[in-house]
Amino acid sequence: MDLLLTEQQTLFAETATRLCLDHGGTKRLRMLRAAAAEIDPDAWREIIKSEWVTTVVAEGQGGQGLGAFDIALALEQVGRQLLMVPLLEAAAAALTLSRATDSARAGTGLADLLRGSRLIVPATAAAAWRYGGGTSNIQYDHKTGVLDGSIAFVAYGGSAEAFLVAIDAGTPPVVAVVPRGDAAVVTERNVDGSTASRLTFDRVHVLAEQVIATGAEARRLATQLQEFLTLGAAVELVGLAAAALDVTLEYIKLRQQFGRPIGSFQVLQHRAVNAFIDIELNRSLVYRVLAAYDRGEHHPAMISAAKARASRSASETVRGALQMHGAIGYTEEHDIGLYYKRAMVLSAQYGGELSHSGRFSDLTLEAGVSA
Amino acid sequence: MPLPTWDNTTLFVDDDPADRAFRQEVREWIGENLPADLCNRSTRIDPPELKPWHRKLYERGWIAPHWPKEYGGMGATLTQQIILFEEISRVGAPTPYPHGLNFIGPLIIDAGTPEQKRKHLPPILTGETTWCQGYSEAGAGSDLVRLETRADLEGDHFVVNGHKMWTTNGHFADWMFALVRTDRSATPRHAGISMLLIDLKSPGITVRPIQTIKGDAEFAEEFLVDVRVPRENLLGELNDGWKVANRLLGSERFTTGHPRNAAVLLNKARQVAELTGATRETGFLHKLAALEIDLMAFSAYYRHAAALHGEKRAPFSMAPVIKIVGGELGQRASELLVDAAAGYGALADDTVVGNQIINPAAEMFEMRRVTVGSGAVEIQRNIIAKRVLGLTS
Repeated sequence: MDLLLTEQQTLFAETATRLCLDHGGTKRLRMLRAAAAEIDPDAWREIIKSEWVTTVVAEGQGGQGLGAFDIALALEQVGRQLLMVPLLEAAAAALTLSRATDSARAGTGLADLLRGSRLIVPATAAAAWRYGGGTSNIQYDHKTGVLDGSIAFVAYGGSAEAFLVAIDAGTPPVVAVVPRGDAAVVTERNVDGSTASRLTFDRVHVLAEQVIATGAEARRLATQLQEFLTLGAAVELVGLAAAALDVTLEYIKLRQQFGRPIGSFQVLQHRAVNAFIDIELNRSLVYRVLAAYDRGEHHPAMISAAKARASRSASETVRGALQMHGAIGYTEEHDIGLYYKRAMVLSAQYGGELSHSGRFSDLTLEAGVSA
Repeated sequence: MPLPTWDNTTLFVDDDPADRAFRQEVREWIGENLPADLCNRSTRIDPPELKPWHRKLYERGWIAPHWPKEYGGMGATLTQQIILFEEISRVGAPTPYPHGLNFIGPLIIDAGTPEQKRKHLPPILTGETTWCQGYSEAGAGSDLVRLETRADLEGDHFVVNGHKMWTTNGHFADWMFALVRTDRSATPRHAGISMLLIDLKSPGITVRPIQTIKGDAEFAEEFLVDVRVPRENLLGELNDGWKVANRLLGSERFTTGHPRNAAVLLNKARQVAELTGATRETGFLHKLAALEIDLMAFSAYYRHAAALHGEKRAPFSMAPVIKIVGGELGQRASELLVDAAAGYGALADDTVVGNQIINPAAEMFEMRRVTVGSGAVEIQRNIIAKRVLGLTS
C-alpha cells in the first residue's frame, strides 16, 4: 500500500528511489564485493552530497529537523537496491550527538558526520541484542575514564574513523566518541560482502572532551541510538524483501515447466502471495512504529516487534525466493542469492527474531497487559 | 520510569479530536443502554434475541453509520464506523448481523429501484426484517460461478427452482438476496447470473437449519420449488448479478476483519494461561509473543488501510489481505486459547477456571468458519495472485 506522505516526503522518496536505483543494484554489489570494498565510495559521496544524514538532525544544529520516518524512506531504498553505505549508522550517530545536552562536545563529531568529512559509526552494547556476544565484559570507569573490554559486530568498523561508543548496561553508562586509533579493530567478512568488526579497548583512557554523556543521559541516548538502529535495519529489510519478491515474480512468470510458466501453479502462487502479504504488513508496521518513535509515543516493545517480524519474514521471503528459483537459485551466478545473503546479515544485525521476540515478551509482561 | 501498560486492542488508533469525542459519547451511551445479559456470551445470539439491541442502536441513529444520510444512515467517516464497532465489541457486546446492514443494504442503495429502496431499506434499519445471503449451493462453493439454481422469467414473474446452502441465519430470515441463473447458455458462465430478492414466506420454499460443528444452528439450507418471485424483485439488470454482487467496496471488511477479534482471544488466552500455569511454559510465551507481534503488524496494516480507504486510495489487495490475515490470526489466537486451557480446552460446555467462565472450544469452533465463509482464504490468495501479482492460471 502507498504510504501516507506529505508532499515533501513524496519528493524525498522519489529522489531516494532514483539515487539508489542509479547507484545500487546487484551488478554494483558484485563489483564491490570482488574488490573487498566495505563501502561504495561513489554512492556514499552522493548520499552525503544529497544531505540525507542531516535528515534527522534538528534545524538549529545544521540538520533538516525531520524524523526517523523520513530517513526510513531512503533506508528502504538502500535495502531494496542492496547499497553498501553506512547511512543508517552515520544517521544514528548524528541523531545521538545532536540530542546530547553538551552540544559543545558533541558538535565537532556532529559537524564532521553531516559534512561527511569523518565517519563515526555506533559501537553499542545493546540490551536488545540479548545474546550472541555483542560485547564481552566492557567496563567503563567513570572516575578514571578508563574503557576496557570489547564490542563485537560493529558495522562499517573497517572504514570508520571514530566510534560512537554507547554503553547502557552492566557498567556505568557512557556515550563517547572514541578515535579509531584507541581501539584494536579486527574486521571479518559477512556472507554478503559487508563486514563485522570487533573493537577491543585495552584500558583506554577516554579523554574528558570525548565523553558526550554519562549517567542517566547516557542511558537515554544509548536507548534512542539502539532503537533507531533497530528500526533502520527493519525498514531496510522491508525494502530488501520487496525486491527479492519482485525478482522472484519475474522469474516464475518466465520459467517454463510442464509446458507452462511455473508461476501458474497454485502452490507457488500462494507462496508468493504469503510473501506479498508479509511485506505489506511489515511496511505498515515499521512506518507506524517510526511515526510513533518520532512523536516519542512508542512503547519500547514496539521497536522489538518491528525488528523481530522484519527479520523473520525477510528470511522467509528469501528462502521462498531461493526455492522457487530451483537449481539456478543455488548458483553464485544468479542474483537472488545476493538478496538471501544480505537478508541474513540484516536479520541478525541489531538483534534478530529470537532476541527481539524475547525482549518483546519480557517488556509486555513486565509492563502488564490491559485486557 | 515504569513502562506503560501494553494494550493490544488500541494499537495505532489514530482518532482526531472529533473522533475522540465521538468515541467517548458512544462509550457512555453503551454503558447506559446495553443490556448486560448480551455481553461475553460464549454461545451465539440468534437474530430474534438481538432485535431489541438493534432497535436501540437504530433509535440512537447509530445503526448504519456507513449509509448515506438520505437513506437513514449517518454518512459517517470510515473512522467513525470503526469506532462504533470498536466500542460495541470493547465491552463484549454483539454487533448487529451484517447481511442486511452491510451487504444487501448498500447494494440496494447502489443498484436498487426507488420502489426497492422504499420497501426494503427502512425495515433493515429498524431491524424488523432479517436477511440472509443465498449464494452458495451444494455444488457451488468456492466455484460460485457454477451455481445451478435457476430463475426462468414467465411473464411478470421469475419461477425459481434450486437449492441454496450454508446460508447464515437462513432459518431466521424473512428475505434472501440470491444469485440465480437466468441464462443457462451464457458464456462466460457468470454472464448468465442475476440477483433476486426473495421473500422466504413465498410458497414452495422449505428451510432446514444445519447444525454446525460448534453444536448450534448458525446456517441453513433452502429448497426452492417453483417459487414465484415478482419481476420487480430483480436487483440491477437481468444477467448482471455477478457485477451487482461484486460492487461492495471492501469497507465491509473493516468490521468483519477487525484485529480486535484476535486481540480479545489473545487476552483470554493470557488470562487462562495464568490460571492453568501455561505461562510457565516457554513454548507458550514464545507462541504468544509471535501472535502478539503478528497482531501488531496487522493492526498497523488495518489502520493504514483505513486511512487510505478514507482518501479513496486503498488498493485492490486490501480487502483480501484483511480477510486472510484477520481470519487466520483469529484462528491461531483461538488455538492458543485452547492449548493454554489444557484439559478445560476440550470440555463441551462452559466451565469455571479460577473465577472465570470460559468455553475455549466454542471460541475455537467459532473461528474455524472465518477462513471459509464468504470466500475461502485459498480463493482470496488466488485473487491476489492473479489480480495483484499478475500470475495467471
